[in-house]
Amino acid sequence: MGVSPGLTAPGTETERWVAAQVGGALEAVFAEVAATRADTTALLARVSAQGRPAVSADLAALRPALHQRLSEEELVSGAGFVAAPGLLADVPAWLEWWQCGTEGVVRPLLLDLDPGRSAYSDYTHWDWFALPRRTGRRAVAGPYVDYLCSDEYSLTLSEPVYVRGEFAGVAAADVYLRHFEAAVLPLLRRLARPAHLVNARGRVAASADPAHLAGSLTRGPDFGGLLLGQDRIGAHGSLRLVPCRGVPLVLVLA
Amino acid sequence: MRQDQIDGGARRAVFSPVDNRARVDTVVRRLGDAIELGLLADGEQLPGESELAGQLGVSTVTLREALMALRQRGLLITRRGRGGGSFVSLPELPAEERLRTRLRGWSTEELRDLGDHWAALSGAAARLAVQRTEPEDLSQLRRTADELIRAEGAAACCRLYGRFHVELAAAAQSARLTREQLALQGEVGALLCLVLADDSCREEVADRQRGLISAVQDGDHATAGTLAERCVREPVARLVAVRLAL
Repeated sequence: MGVSPGLTAPGTETERWVAAQVGGALEAVFAEVAATRADTTALLARVSAQGRPAVSADLAALRPALHQRLSEEELVSGAGFVAAPGLLADVPAWLEWWQCGTEGVVRPLLLDLDPGRSAYSDYTHWDWFALPRRTGRRAVAGPYVDYLCSDEYSLTLSEPVYVRGEFAGVAAADVYLRHFEAAVLPLLRRLARPAHLVNARGRVAASADPAHLAGSLTRGPDFGGLLLGQDRIGAHGSLRLVPCRGVPLVLVLA
Repeated sequence: MRQDQIDGGARRAVFSPVDNRARVDTVVRRLGDAIELGLLADGEQLPGESELAGQLGVSTVTLREALMALRQRGLLITRRGRGGGSFVSLPELPAEERLRTRLRGWSTEELRDLGDHWAALSGAAARLAVQRTEPEDLSQLRRTADELIRAEGAAACCRLYGRFHVELAAAAQSARLTREQLALQGEVGALLCLVLADDSCREEVADRQRGLISAVQDGDHATAGTLAERCVREPVARLVAVRLAL
């Protein structure tokens, strides 16, 4: 993704390059999500062609590829397909979800999705599910504390899955914030001014600026509006705002 | 003689397993609560010992001790042979009576300390949430507060009460506070059924929750922190009163 303009070169070129690199790191994760989406779409289409409704056991066919993705893509700590309620004939809801455990062991997430027993059975309001369902497009949810799946401070990247034009659920991947920080901090440190990354709502996702730590809000600028624009660099007071092309993050320079 | 030889016994103690008794108690409380709350159904088979130990992150020895304690309390039965294993067994006593029996295992000092710990967590989470939350982030807390008012049955009420505090910790953007909340609720969870079954307690909690959400929205640190603490202290105070009446 582009050529490094050098360690010390200040100015717009470096800023754009860093923003592009950050976008590139998440694009690599989105490529994995897209592969899961393609696998799931094909699987559900195959089942549908057999003239029967899909059941949870059908989704086991996704596992080998999910395991491979989890072991190969360093940033990804959780991956899978989350079914829309009602998609599967044998269960009301389902997450075919796998996580990297300690010592590189890949483990399934086993959730109690019975509303009579669990207060956390309804997952449809979480941004990683609701955003792709509402917009039909891929989404980056977070940073947020993922107390449903990992208890980690995370970003979740997701894409809607459709079967015959009907929303069937989302393909998704989890990136723990500490891993994201490790990936982007060397980039942020190349900039001459203190820099941090925020999401569309101004929540800090990673920072090389001690005044703006991950999880805090940078208030004032309309980051959502800036991200809708055509990759244009913005300003707010003394802040410079550089959108990361393709992903809903903004590089903020103090 | 070298110092480490003199202190051999003490040194071995240093490297002995940390707090095994506490782990057993934690597993007993966690599984016991899950059975009381109906998270594990009557007759349900538990996973095999090594799998369950792995999921809980304890050794099989610790797990066996915990299962033994649960069997003694009549919450589990074990069948041997093919198709055997540990099965959930709800005793004949009504749920409330079983919870009262469990409450007898807590001293008022332990309950008071539990309330302090929980209030400290929730108060801190509320104050951080004031700085770190936007209006959109409050929708989950609002939904939970609304569901709590309408919830039927003490167990459902108790689950929603717990979820509110977990969501508050998540609104503070703190994975550690969230994990602490979950761990604490795993320890005490079901006991609050004893007080949340009472409409006046539930209404009091709901009133504090609504006030807390407004305070977070208005950026009012002091009020948010105080109300979050009262959300915990008031039900725990009622629980202490129940304990003293046993």
